[in-house]
Amino acid sequence: MSPQQPVRAALASLLIVLPAFFAAAVAADAPIVGREAPDFALRAAHGPNVRLSEHRGEVIVVSFWGSRCSTCAAQLQALDRSYTIFRSAGLEILGVNVDDDQRRAAEAAGGYSLQFPILLDPQKGVSRDYRVDNLPMTVLIDRDGRVRYVHRDFSKPGETLYLQELRGLLNE
Amino acid sequence: MRKFFRTVVLLAGLAAAPYALAQAPAASAPSASAAAPADAPAAAASDTQSLDQSIQSLKSEAVDLNRDLFVLEEELLFPANTQVAVFLSMDVGDFFNLDSVSLKIDDHEVANYLYTPREVAALIKGGVQRLYLGNLKVGDHELTAFFNGKGPNDRDYKRGATIRFKKAIGAKYLELKINDRQRRLQPEFEIKDWE
Repeated sequence: MSPQQPVRAALASLLIVLPAFFAAAVAADAPIVGREAPDFALRAAHGPNVRLSEHRGEVIVVSFWGSRCSTCAAQLQALDRSYTIFRSAGLEILGVNVDDDQRRAAEAAGGYSLQFPILLDPQKGVSRDYRVDNLPMTVLIDRDGRVRYVHRDFSKPGETLYLQELRGLLNE
Repeated sequence: MRKFFRTVVLLAGLAAAPYALAQAPAASAPSASAAAPADAPAAAASDTQSLDQSIQSLKSEAVDLNRDLFVLEEELLFPANTQVAVFLSMDVGDFFNLDSVSLKIDDHEVANYLYTPREVAALIKGGVQRLYLGNLKVGDHELTAFFNGKGPNDRDYKRGATIRFKKAIGAKYLELKINDRQRRLQPEFEIKDWE
């Protein structure tokens, strides 16, 4: 066995593993990005039931959140600010709470005094359709009803990127 | 070791090939446009128009094809012999604000539908919704529908209605009807069997 053989084997395995790793990272979003957004109808914490397909023609932001998630509150406030600015340009935001306890979810939603509707998904049917694997998770849907961007987590740079994407979708 | 690097270079070359091919026509395009005659804009406009017409006709064909496929799919999935369809209609709606309907056939939940105010408004205007389409074998069956919503004085209201029906050879149509009973100031729920 030559001394170069282990190096060769390591390089070869790296060549196999790296593309697989990147493919897996892309595949995590692949099921929904670029596809038609799965339709749903959910009960709202306050107000009437909401069906996604009734907002076709508007840019829709669906934000999945939970009352125990620490960054969700900050994200909801940021979404509320963008809702105030872009609502007249055709933006609709739907906050989907995934808590099991609907009363707790409604109380949390009431505490944030948001302008957009908060919907309840205690059975997690909608969350499964949208492959929610992290909270908060934000899905941006264009005017044709296609999922264009998915953001997992919330941060300041992330918010800047989200606003850029949102402006782009509203200008289409 | 040399053989290994040769393999890596070959793989990189294969990966870059589509980009190289994509670049090739783009590079040759300017020379072709330089050779075009002076009346090129008129010809281009005419070409664009005919292309637009072709696209429109293709779109129309795609829509027709999609409709035919939809009909074919329904015929295949729900043959007339075993087909059962449940519709929902609503009349007036002064005493009942519909929120959701869940449907059970032979004690198995087959449909659960949540209504938005827009859908309720459409039903009140006379719309009929196909709530369920499925297959059932010939024989006796039981259908139960649970209606949830707000009743008189905006109180939570939940009512059920049941019908036993016989499924023969041929499609079976049932209709859930929500009516206002003016004399009792209450909503009324009934299931109609379309013979």
